[in-house]
Amino acid sequence: MIAAWRQRLFATPLDAAITLVCLYVVWRISVPLVHWLLLDATWNGTSRDDCKGAGACWVFVRMRFGQFMYGQYPLAERWRVDLVGALWVLATVVLSWRGLPYRSAVTLATAIVLPPLGIVLLHGGWGTGLAVVETREWGGLMLTLFLTVYAGLIAVPLGILLALGRRSRLPLIRFISVVFIEFWRGVPIITVIFLASLLLPLIVPTGFDVDRLARAVIGLAFVIAAYMAEAVRGGLQALPEGQSEAAQALGLGYWRIQRMIVLPQALRIALPAMTNEFIALFKNTTLVLIVSIFDLLGIAQAALADPAWVGMNMEAYVFAGAIYWFVCFGLSQWSRLREKRLQVAHGR
Amino acid sequence: MTFLRDRKVRDILWQGAATVALVALVWFFVGNASENMVKAGIASGFQFLWRDSGIEVPFNLTGYKPSDTILALLWTGVVNTLLVSAVSIAAATIIGFSVGLLRLSRNWLLSTLAGFYIEFVRNIPLLFFVLFWYFGVLAALPTPRESLNLLDIAFLNRRGLSIPTPNDATGLRLALLATIVLFAVQWAIARWAKARQARTGRDFPTWLVGLVVCGVLPVMAFVVAGMLTTWDVPTLRGFNYRGGFVLVPEFVALFAALSTYTAGFIAEVVRGGIQSVRQGQIDAARALGLGQGRIVRLVVIPQAMPVIIPPITSQYLNLIKNSSFGAAIAYPEIVAVFMGSALVSTGQSIEIIAITLAIYLTLSLAVSLFMNWYNARHRLVTR
Repeated sequence: MIAAWRQRLFATPLDAAITLVCLYVVWRISVPLVHWLLLDATWNGTSRDDCKGAGACWVFVRMRFGQFMYGQYPLAERWRVDLVGALWVLATVVLSWRGLPYRSAVTLATAIVLPPLGIVLLHGGWGTGLAVVETREWGGLMLTLFLTVYAGLIAVPLGILLALGRRSRLPLIRFISVVFIEFWRGVPIITVIFLASLLLPLIVPTGFDVDRLARAVIGLAFVIAAYMAEAVRGGLQALPEGQSEAAQALGLGYWRIQRMIVLPQALRIALPAMTNEFIALFKNTTLVLIVSIFDLLGIAQAALADPAWVGMNMEAYVFAGAIYWFVCFGLSQWSRLREKRLQVAHGR
Repeated sequence: MTFLRDRKVRDILWQGAATVALVALVWFFVGNASENMVKAGIASGFQFLWRDSGIEVPFNLTGYKPSDTILALLWTGVVNTLLVSAVSIAAATIIGFSVGLLRLSRNWLLSTLAGFYIEFVRNIPLLFFVLFWYFGVLAALPTPRESLNLLDIAFLNRRGLSIPTPNDATGLRLALLATIVLFAVQWAIARWAKARQARTGRDFPTWLVGLVVCGVLPVMAFVVAGMLTTWDVPTLRGFNYRGGFVLVPEFVALFAALSTYTAGFIAEVVRGGIQSVRQGQIDAARALGLGQGRIVRLVVIPQAMPVIIPPITSQYLNLIKNSSFGAAIAYPEIVAVFMGSALVSTGQSIEIIAITLAIYLTLSLAVSLFMNWYNARHRLVTR
């Protein structure tokens, strides 16, 4: 044990020197950091005046916690957000249970019912008796998750279709898919969000309006669909040609081959790449700040302008950044774990 | 209906249906757009590009003034985008390669720290870093009077980074020209050495000569040119620094965010590329009696580079596209000055969006053409 660590840290005199320098640097960085974050920080209180220590003022985050989570969503209606969140979690848990009876039927029903139900619950009105909460009042982490989930719901099926289209036998379908994919991959997401917020209201018939938030979701979804298509294409290419040839020999048609033979295998291969695109989507939702939609980062940014809490830049950023980091890191670790388990299952 | 079973007929029908649907959709959108634009009184066309812009750009290298045309404004944005991208690409490459190599270090602590860095930057949104550097770090910097003094030549404060400028750039231009010539010379030497080795089997120390020709000599040229040039060094007058050139905080923040963020991705590419070289290759090289340095130079790098270059190129392209994040802190790049300021002042949304997208698409296309060319040339030949 000790010998192994000695080999890892002090193998040669140079290694020993490097280790010592690294230890010194880590010490110099982590001690002030721990002091600021924890030891000297203020946790209890109600206003800025309670923060007298040299460390972070977590009172600020505690007092504004509701805004970080829900934005300007009315206090009395926040249970609706919690309910929608709980429904999504419940659906995920139920659908990932392996012994679920009538699995495909339940999945289909959830996919048809849950997304519109979520929007109706969050927005209210439309004859439900719930108070209307305009999308401009939505914000914080709830909005970040909303953008990720709904843009993802459009992007994944669209990406799969585009990936199939790119490998289609028909030249015209192939051409349309390639142009779509390369166009959205070639431009910065920020310009797409601008484009969606400026052009979508222009191209619908006069008198109709596209909700501001819906524009952002559509813009994000198109870009991520293009990247998702490339991830899926990787999976399709990794699948041996013999699979679909064998299915053809059995007399199955194109869509049945894709649905029953090709996609279940290709998506499993493509899952790590698709998870990466999902992480990218989660990170890129921050760009809606450009069109004045206040997601988690936007709320943190807006909080800096509050005269009652001047100089809380670091606290706001550290809190928001930590949430982003844990979600993204968690997703990537989950994907790695799954990949490893699959490799074991395949006996590689 | 038996003709529907014919594959050719079905192919034509499917493609026909797709075309009709697409054309109908575009027709519908364009029709709505033109109707809406007539109602809103928006004229179309590109004449607005030659109008005076009247827009102030605080940071520009093109000598642009508000009395210039909108086309000049766009050009200023393009130059600013390319400027911040070029500098960030250089820094991201250096940091990324260093971190990627450190990640592979035998020293556990060093490799773990490099891993921390990679996992830290990759799992946080870039916009977060841009805002953090701008509002968190640079806003907390001291006033010009208490600037951070960097070797008496550059000064960092909340108004930006003041750097010296040459009074006469002729010497530096000559040094740059000499560097380009030296690189060409090295290229010729390498070709000649390779041809000679193929012909006679005699080895030539190309790498050692290259280090002198492409490393030592250009540095010497720049040092000599720099010493012969007189410099306009920023000095504190009253409340601010005068002289030299001020890199605005927006530039510094965007540069810091872009380079450290992209470096995390480049580091992973480098690590993966080096690890893709099979252990058997290294063992075989050692069995032939090659030393550690030659193994790295002759076996590892030539096989790792074809794996590393294509994904790194796409990281560079990502960085160029991501420089548009500067719009969030009002760094005057394409999106901020053109899609932002110019669009608000002229209202020509469709034309401006089309031009902006065309610029980025051209850049992307150029990069992917390069990548295809490189892949075709350097495809690993396996026997």
